[in-house]
Amino acid sequence: MRRTAPITILALVCILLISLACAVALGPTGISPGSLITQPNAWMIVWDIRLPRVLAAALVGCALAVAGTAMQGLFRNPMADPYIIGTSSGGALGATVAIVLFAGTGRPVFAFAGAMTATFAVYFIARKGGKIPVETLLLSGVALSTLLSAFLSFLMYTAGKSLHQIMFWLMGGFWNVSWNDVVVALPILIGSAGIYLFARDVNILSLNEEDAAHLGVNVERVKRILLALSAFVTGVAVAVAGSIGFIGLITPHVMRLIVGPDHRFLFPAAALAGAILLVWSDTLTRTFTNDMPVGIITACFGAPFFIYLLRSRMKA
Amino acid sequence: MKPIETIDIDVSYGAKKILEAITFHADAGEILGIVGPNGSGKTTLLKAMSRVVARDNGEIRLDDRDLDTLGHRELARRIAVVPQDLSIGFDYTVRDIVMMGRHPYIGRLASETTRDVEICDHAMRLANVAHLAGMSVHEISGGERQRVLIARALAQEPKILLLDEATSNLDVSHQVEILNIIRDLTRTITVVSVFHDLNLAAYYCDRLIMLKDRRVHTAGAPKDVLTRETLRAVYGIDALVKPHPLTGRPYILPTYECTPGRQPEKKVHVICGGGTGSDLLYALHKEGFQASTGVLNVFDTDYATAKALGIPCITEAPFSAISSEACSELERCIAAADAVVITAMPIGQGNIDNIRVLKELTDKPIIFFSKNGRYGVEDHSGGEATEILRNLELAGAERAGDIPELVVLLKESHQSGREDGHR
Repeated sequence: MRRTAPITILALVCILLISLACAVALGPTGISPGSLITQPNAWMIVWDIRLPRVLAAALVGCALAVAGTAMQGLFRNPMADPYIIGTSSGGALGATVAIVLFAGTGRPVFAFAGAMTATFAVYFIARKGGKIPVETLLLSGVALSTLLSAFLSFLMYTAGKSLHQIMFWLMGGFWNVSWNDVVVALPILIGSAGIYLFARDVNILSLNEEDAAHLGVNVERVKRILLALSAFVTGVAVAVAGSIGFIGLITPHVMRLIVGPDHRFLFPAAALAGAILLVWSDTLTRTFTNDMPVGIITACFGAPFFIYLLRSRMKA
Repeated sequence: MKPIETIDIDVSYGAKKILEAITFHADAGEILGIVGPNGSGKTTLLKAMSRVVARDNGEIRLDDRDLDTLGHRELARRIAVVPQDLSIGFDYTVRDIVMMGRHPYIGRLASETTRDVEICDHAMRLANVAHLAGMSVHEISGGERQRVLIARALAQEPKILLLDEATSNLDVSHQVEILNIIRDLTRTITVVSVFHDLNLAAYYCDRLIMLKDRRVHTAGAPKDVLTRETLRAVYGIDALVKPHPLTGRPYILPTYECTPGRQPEKKVHVICGGGTGSDLLYALHKEGFQASTGVLNVFDTDYATAKALGIPCITEAPFSAISSEACSELERCIAAADAVVITAMPIGQGNIDNIRVLKELTDKPIIFFSKNGRYGVEDHSGGEATEILRNLELAGAERAGDIPELVVLLKESHQSGREDGHR
């Protein structure tokens, strides 16, 4: 471990708290602290609109970053992200079905169900003799995602008027988020804590599976549990906010550079950083861009940064 | 009670059998080597012992306990494995990696104690990597990384250490350094190691198991396992096996050029002595001739060469004249040969019978071999030897001045021999 890692985590906690406060204070409607008392409208905006939205963004950011970290460690592949095993395409299809067939009723439930179903389908396709080879899992994920995308495209083609709604959902965002959604997102914390309990196992698994077995890790069981928990937190995140890209891919990278590869520090650091990033991305979009889908913001910042990382890795 | 014992195990990958009926054990505190050609199942055997690969049947017992009854963590506290190499994708420090060896001792909700840290420090000192503790595993050399993996294995406090060619990617100084570290561990740990390098195996192992085609071919002390015959049978190579001049362990010198399994072309009997025939015997052997030699006394350099090459040799006690038994054996040998080669050897009353027998055999192709152009022998017999040779030459014996020339003559000799027979 790096000696600076605990300090970094402490700093991230402070930054997150400050970010939450700032995010609540900022918005298209200017609200001064004084007006909170004098204007009931201002209080309503802060309490019923901004605070749940900010908290939901923090939770979703945390979920994506933790699941991304787990996937990259588990797959020993820095290109892995939370969606790699079909979670996002399953979620997207589920949400689209809800929008097209039920006019959007139960959309989060459909999205979550879709995400989990797709993940388990990938898992069972890849499983052979009680084992899930990592390469097969990745390929099954790609294959199933392609198939689900075809279904999705078909639904969009036949969607007619609700196409606009589907497009918005696919790009991801926190419109109309209420306290209900925050409650729905809370299990993310439980799932992330569950993943954290396997931090040491992920450290060892990130070397080599056979080696991990020699060190007393029950490889297949740990892999199963981590896949299930990651799919769960990602599924919840997708249900709440659609599929927001790049947070789950970039955050683990950046945090690995700062706190090192020890997952006992990397998981909390990534969770906090993911929350901070998504809170600020969402604040930017709703304050300055008339509530453009937040996925556009994360991709705009994430992709160039990713290219930068890639280039600097190639130099090293 | 054996530290580790495998009883009649079979392993297959799918339909392909990898190991069959493997039974052996390791004794406490020994280094047991597993050797054999590529694809003979060495690594798979090690994997079966660490339970990474499932076996079809048979039993593996650790201290009389069935391997399958142990939990993952329990197993990791008894058996540690040092892989051939480990590419580490993420930027861990040496201490991080060694501390992973404590994983089977630390509960899921616990973190490492000072005792764990002490054990890691001790392991790093034993493996001579303590000074690298804070460095990244990407900054250290291959030899150092291998020692880090040994330190990690020691941090597991195992009873049994399995090494899968743990030194085969390293240069000789690092190999020796690491194997000496391993050897010093055997007071408390039993080591089972796969070796590619037979000489390292011969020196470091107390016992060896040689695998061939999925089965145990030979097992026992290195001197009994690493013999000319087993090397030919298992590896299909021809090699000299000699005691190492300093350690007394078997030492293997492959002859490199020999193509094993080639049909011996022709039978050639070589009459030589005093070292005049050694390179010739090797050349004939290499060219695939079925050579024989003699009569030689057992102190002769040429005798040692013949023995090392596995060439049949008629022998006589030193400083004695050739006995009648040896003489008749020589006659049989020459009668069976397609040709006879005589080197420019010293001949005295002790060994003149070697060429006296040729007087009777006029139809046999005879070739004089001398590399310095001085044909004839070093005559200590008062002229008799020189006279016999002159008569042989008059009867058609030929001369060869170097080995290629001799080989050509020998390859033609059968035909001319037959023609001689018709005459």
